[in-house]
Amino acid sequence: MKLSTMWKDALGSLLRRPATEKYPFVRLRAPEQLRSQLHWDLEACTGCGLCAKDCPADAIEIITLDRKAKRFVFHYAIDRCTFCAQCVVSCRQGCLKMSNDEWELASLTKEPLRVYYGEDADVETVLAGAPEPDAEPAPGD
Amino acid sequence: MSAVIALVIFPGGVCILLAGMLYEWFDRKLVARFQDRIGPRWFQPLADTVKLLAKEEVVPDGVNGQLFFVLPVIALAGAMTAALYVPVFGLAPSFSFSGDLIATIYMLSLLTLCMGLAGANTLNRFSLLGATRTLTQLFSYEAPFLLALLGPAIVAGSWRISAIADYAADHWLILTQPIGFAVALIGLMGKLELPPFDAPEAETEIVAGALTEYSGRGLALFHLGKGVELVVGLTLVAAFYLGGVANPLAFFVKTLVILLGLAGLQALFTRLRIEQTVGLWWRYGALLVLVQFLALIVWEGWVA
Amino acid sequence: MPAKGEKFIIPIGPQHPALKEPGHFEFSVDGEMVTSASLRLGYVHRGIEKGTEGRNWVQALYLLERICGICSHVHATAYCLGVERLAGVEAPPRAQAIRSLVGELERIHSHLLWLGVAAHEAGFDMLFMHSWRDREVVMNLLEGFTGNRVNYSANVLGGVKCDIDARQTDAIVKGLEYLEDRTHHYLEVVTSDIMFLRRTRGIGVMTKDVAEKLGVVGPTARASGVARDVRVNAPYAAYDRYPVKLITATAGDLEARFIVRVQELFETYRVIRAILADLPEGELTVRMPRRIKEGETISRVEAPRGELFYFIKSNGSDTAERVKVRTPTLPNMASVLTLAVGHQLADMPMILTGIDPCFSCNDRMIVVRDEAGQASAWTWDDLRQYGIETYR
Repeated sequence: MKLSTMWKDALGSLLRRPATEKYPFVRLRAPEQLRSQLHWDLEACTGCGLCAKDCPADAIEIITLDRKAKRFVFHYAIDRCTFCAQCVVSCRQGCLKMSNDEWELASLTKEPLRVYYGEDADVETVLAGAPEPDAEPAPGD
Repeated sequence: MSAVIALVIFPGGVCILLAGMLYEWFDRKLVARFQDRIGPRWFQPLADTVKLLAKEEVVPDGVNGQLFFVLPVIALAGAMTAALYVPVFGLAPSFSFSGDLIATIYMLSLLTLCMGLAGANTLNRFSLLGATRTLTQLFSYEAPFLLALLGPAIVAGSWRISAIADYAADHWLILTQPIGFAVALIGLMGKLELPPFDAPEAETEIVAGALTEYSGRGLALFHLGKGVELVVGLTLVAAFYLGGVANPLAFFVKTLVILLGLAGLQALFTRLRIEQTVGLWWRYGALLVLVQFLALIVWEGWVA
Repeated sequence: MPAKGEKFIIPIGPQHPALKEPGHFEFSVDGEMVTSASLRLGYVHRGIEKGTEGRNWVQALYLLERICGICSHVHATAYCLGVERLAGVEAPPRAQAIRSLVGELERIHSHLLWLGVAAHEAGFDMLFMHSWRDREVVMNLLEGFTGNRVNYSANVLGGVKCDIDARQTDAIVKGLEYLEDRTHHYLEVVTSDIMFLRRTRGIGVMTKDVAEKLGVVGPTARASGVARDVRVNAPYAAYDRYPVKLITATAGDLEARFIVRVQELFETYRVIRAILADLPEGELTVRMPRRIKEGETISRVEAPRGELFYFIKSNGSDTAERVKVRTPTLPNMASVLTLAVGHQLADMPMILTGIDPCFSCNDRMIVVRDEAGQASAWTWDDLRQYGIETYR
């Protein structure tokens, strides 16, 4: 029975560097496996839409401009994504990949959180008809 | 004129408030380092005070409005008045009279009493429980703490703090009255409601104890009062047992050494339940200090 | 203050620093002694079971994983095992072993977290900070292996999605060495620190009969001598290949609960090393149909808190018909009310933490039958209308 069992830890902690980091000034490197922002490869995509069907958060929308010519636009809502990587597994062509470094995704407005991947001309076409990002979602969304 | 300056600016008033915040920062930083964390930056207690003063003060239903308003003021006033009689910053006390040791200790207890009353004033369950615990703890550590400070008074032959401090400057009483020093140190922890004696404000059981309903200005004043109490208590223990505080450098070094010890003791132990605190003090605390007294009386009788 | 004999009720919750999640306890006290206790749950009901009805089998997996943050993997494992059984497939051995591996790593994470929280409730912040610092080790291991610190999403229907290579194996082995060393130290702290023992020894004693009568599960029951552990009684995933030893204690007080959980940590380290030394080769997933055959099944796994029970019913389509979850905290919660009587108020947070409560796991819908035995079910619109009218 001891009066104090953690005095060695206390002394050691006092004399060593602390275990916490001053985050914005010190940024540690994330491991390779970390699941952060999703990236899409246009070349390999066939537009099957399994990723959108299997996403538990409805964060993916495949907008088909021309199926035969393989012109798709991939609308990715970062604010809905739960970073589960099910889309990466569901995709049979391997066109989805989660990066491991883009995990500081907080934003004050919704605009940076709605990302459109695709050929620039296609994205322009889609954006011309897209609703405002901050608008109220339509019922049934 | 010099009395007014002493009261309002230096060494009382603004300076003692700033010193209270500085010592609170030292305490928090040291405890954090013991726990392997970085700890707050130097201006954190000042930032907390400014933030609290800027917030709205919510007066709950069913309290006595005047008491609610006035109690934090009396608490802080008591602590700051006590600071006038002790040699803070290593300077001679601004005011001094025979018997001011008792007056100072009473002023410090006034702070605790005001907190207890503030808790009893509201209808909140947590505050009522916190008030009960605060007052129970007051009854348990007060006697041994007072007696531990009385030991040096007896050998110095005076009830005046400046006289005792002068006597202690020549004789290091920690060597001749080690038990008294230990009881005074731990009694200080009880007085300041530092862990392991923080049952009155046990965060995980009764939210914030007696101060649960306070916010804004009232809470800021109570916190400032606690900071001042910390400085005054450290000064008393340093002046009596660690060979007096003759100059500012000695003051800072000695009080910071004691604060290091306090922070270490804070970090090491589990919180005691209130009846365990009372049991500890009335069994071991009182016993130890009475043993010390006996030794003192026998020594005085032998030598004299 | 009310006169002696009147009820003086202290509410702990729904918002209280002692609770990490909302739940409403009412303790009637007389001075500092608790004379009776009552409980109200439901503050974190999110309608997850209802939510699985609108989503397909794959989407429902991730929804169910987020019932709880600390035991997310076991929820996903239970669901995957159940659905795979319904579909008549079995995940390959390597996937089952990795499922067990992540489950055991999660158990370490959960027990270290609990150790810190219990120490914090007792006022022992030193143990809190240090055990949470060590918990970072296991969270970094999980992040390096599965890709996330909580909600690992390691499971997919039919297997797992993350593989383990030699570098990660080395990292895990090294991390475990450090953790085992620290766990020995924590066992010593928990069993020999005088002031900590004054808060835990002899508090909240639950004998074996009371434990069996109340139906408590998990380490809370094992601390009272009830020898039940789903990994031993009904091995799932890879636990028949890597058997686990059952740890019990007899005292039944808070100290025994501490000891059981810390010793379970040692057993977990041994199991993880056994898995890593003998990982079977093979694929990670097996093909799963999108429509699951009709049928119903149950699935039981051992969460860090006790036995987790899933009932899954399929009607042949690509969405679940009914998923019913019973989490281990629900039976354990009732024991708090029985144990609280006769103790000081200061012991209440400790007794509550002793069962390792997870309020988020807890809240499920209750069906009330009237006298005629008729059960009525509300549709989504009925519920919405009721909410609008009540809170207008």
